[in-house]
Amino acid sequence: MVESFFDKTTRCLTIKVNGRFDYSCHKMFKEAFTSVTIATSYDVNLADVSYLDSSALGMLLLLRDHAGGDKAQVRLLYANGAVIDILKIANFHRLFDITE
Amino acid sequence: MEQILTVLIADDNPSDRILLKAILSQFGHKVVSAVDGQDAIDKFDPHTIQLVCLDIKMPYKDGWEAAFEIQRIAGDVFVPIIFLSGVSDPIALSNCLRIGGTDFISKPYSPALITAKLNAIVRLLVMQKTLEEQRDAMRTYNEQLLNDQDIAKVVYENITHSNCLEDPALSTFHYGTHTFNGDVILAAYKPNGGMHLLLGDFTGHGLSAAIGALPLADIFFDWTKKGFLMRQIIPEINARLKRVLPANMFCSAVFIDIKVNNKSIEIWNGGLPDVLFFSKNTKQPVRFTSKNLPLGVLSPDAFESQIEAVSFSPGDRLMAFSDGVYEALDVSGQMFCHSVLTPLYHGHVDADRSVDWLIEQLEKEGVLKNPHDDISCLSVRLDASIGIDSLEGGYLQAHHEAPADFSFEYVLNADSLRNTDPLPYVLQILTTVPGLSSFSSQIFMILSELYSNALEHGVLQLNSEKKSSSDGFSEYYEERESRLAKLTNGYVKISVKVTSDHHCRSLVLYVEDSGSGFDFKSVNFDISNTELLYNRGLALLDQLCSKLEFTKGGRAVTAYYDWQVGLDS
Repeated sequence: MVESFFDKTTRCLTIKVNGRFDYSCHKMFKEAFTSVTIATSYDVNLADVSYLDSSALGMLLLLRDHAGGDKAQVRLLYANGAVIDILKIANFHRLFDITE
Repeated sequence: MEQILTVLIADDNPSDRILLKAILSQFGHKVVSAVDGQDAIDKFDPHTIQLVCLDIKMPYKDGWEAAFEIQRIAGDVFVPIIFLSGVSDPIALSNCLRIGGTDFISKPYSPALITAKLNAIVRLLVMQKTLEEQRDAMRTYNEQLLNDQDIAKVVYENITHSNCLEDPALSTFHYGTHTFNGDVILAAYKPNGGMHLLLGDFTGHGLSAAIGALPLADIFFDWTKKGFLMRQIIPEINARLKRVLPANMFCSAVFIDIKVNNKSIEIWNGGLPDVLFFSKNTKQPVRFTSKNLPLGVLSPDAFESQIEAVSFSPGDRLMAFSDGVYEALDVSGQMFCHSVLTPLYHGHVDADRSVDWLIEQLEKEGVLKNPHDDISCLSVRLDASIGIDSLEGGYLQAHHEAPADFSFEYVLNADSLRNTDPLPYVLQILTTVPGLSSFSSQIFMILSELYSNALEHGVLQLNSEKKSSSDGFSEYYEERESRLAKLTNGYVKISVKVTSDHHCRSLVLYVEDSGSGFDFKSVNFDISNTELLYNRGLALLDQLCSKLEFTKGGRAVTAYYDWQVGLDS
C-alpha cells in the first residue's frame, strides 16, 4: 500500500508505504513521485513498513534519481529495526538522510 | 449471434426427426440425421458436427449410451449434447445432465423454446472457442518462452560458471526461485596463484536479475586473468553496471581476494550480510560488515571502496551468503538473522560443516520448499596452496616457436606509481612471446613479487617485519596506502629483455628502485621455513627463476628465466 501527500507550501512530497515494501508496490510508488512535478524535497515514511527487499531499495534509488541524483533531497523516516538493518547493510545512509 | 451450425439429430421416430430437422433448417442450420444410437455414433465427426441432439429411447443404443460414445470420440473438442425426451420424469432428465448433457428439449417441440435454447448453445460454443484459442496461444507462448529460457540459461551458465568452482577448497550452495537466478557465484584463479571470489545478488529475481550478471562475470574473469588486482576490478565492475543497468537495479556483492604468497585475504563487502571469518585464533568468527554501497549505484567519480585485510592460517575458513539466507523466515516467522543464525555467529557451529549445517537449517525451517528470494552461500577453506596447483597446467611441453629478441624499459615516477599498476601491461607484452604465454602465471608471479618489493620496501620504505602479526598485517597495508598517497619522489624502473639462441630462450627482468637497498646477503631462501611471514616472496622467486641477482646494494634485482623450445624428447 502506497499513499502520498504533497505539501504545497514546503513543496515536500511525502510518500507513505505500509506493510511489505517489495515489487508489488512498484507501480504505485513510481506513480506517487512522478505524478507531482514541482516537488523540491521528498520524505518517505517507513513507519509502517514491516519488510523491505532489494527491489524496494531499487525503487528508492529510482526516486533519488528522479529527485536529482546526488543533489536529491530525500529523507527516509521512522524506519523500524529490521528495515534500518537492511538500509544499513546496503550503506544507504551515504545516499539518503535516514531518521529513525 | 448469427452462426450456422451443423447439427446431428438422432431419433428413431421419423415424424419427430423430420419436424426437428424442419425447425433447425428454417434457421439456416445444416442437419445430419441418424435413425438410432449406433447410427448417430457412426455419423458423428467432431470436426464437422458442432451440436448433437439425441432421443433418449432408441433401438441398438439408447441416447445415454450414444452420448458416452460420442463424448469419447470428441476427446478434447467440446461438442454440446442435447437430449430429446418425450418423458417428463425428473430423474431421467437429471440423468441426462449428469452424464454430460448440456440441456434437454421436451416433446412436443416448441419452435420458440428451441430457438432460445439454440441461441444459448451458440453463445456457449463461441465462448468455448475463444477460450480454446486463448489456451492454445498461451500454451504456444509458454513453450516458446521456456525454450528461449533454456537456451539463454545455457549461454548464461557458460559465461558465469568457471571450472574454478570445482576447487576442493570451495563449498557453494545455490538455490534459485526461478529458472534464472539473481544470485551469482564467481571464482577464478589469479595468474600468480590464489583466487578471486565474488558472490553477488542482483535486485529482483529471475531473468531480469540474471542479465546483469553477464557484464559482471565478463569483467571478473577477464580482468582476473590479465592480472588486475581486486581494487582495480571492483571500480571497473561498478562503472560498467552503473552504465548498463537501469537506476533501480544494482548488485549487492562480496569480493574476496585470496593471496597465497603472504597468506592473507582481502574482503570488499557492498550490501551483503556480514562475511564470517573462522580462525583458529578466535572463538567467534570475525565479522566483515558491509562498508560499501552495492555495485552499480554510484557513478565512477563518486565510487570509493573500503577493503579490509586479514592474514590467515591454513585451515581457517571464510563464509559469505546472500540476503536470501539472512532474511529467510523460520517456522515461527522470525528472520534467520535473529534466530537460526545465532549459533553460527557465536561460533557454536563447526566451521568445516557450516555450509551443510546451513542447508540443514534451511530445510528444517521449510525455507527451501517455499523460498521468496534466491539463496546462495559460499565457503572457502583457506590454504596457501589455493590456485598454485592450477599453475602447473602451464608446464606444457614447448613447441616450435619463432625466436623473439626485444627489450624495453618502463620507468614509473611518483605520480605513476600512485595511479597506475604497470604489471598487466608488461605482462601483456611478454605474453606475445608464445613460450612465455604458456608460463604466464609464473612470469606474472615473478614480476609482481619484484615490483611490490621495489615499491613497498624500496620506494615506500615499509618494513616487512610488521607483517609478522595479524594486526601488524593490516597496519602494514594501511601504512602502504597512506605513504603511497603522499608520495612525491621516487621511481621504479622495470627493464625487460628477451633473447633467443637456437633452442634456448631467455627472459631477463631487471627491477630497480629509488630506495636505499637492503642487506641481501642475509636473506634466507628456505621456502619451507613457513614461520617467516615476510621473506617468503624472495624464497619463492628464487625457486621460480634460474638465477636471482642483487646489485646496487639491494636497490636492483635481476631475475633470469630460461626455457627451451623445439626439444621433442
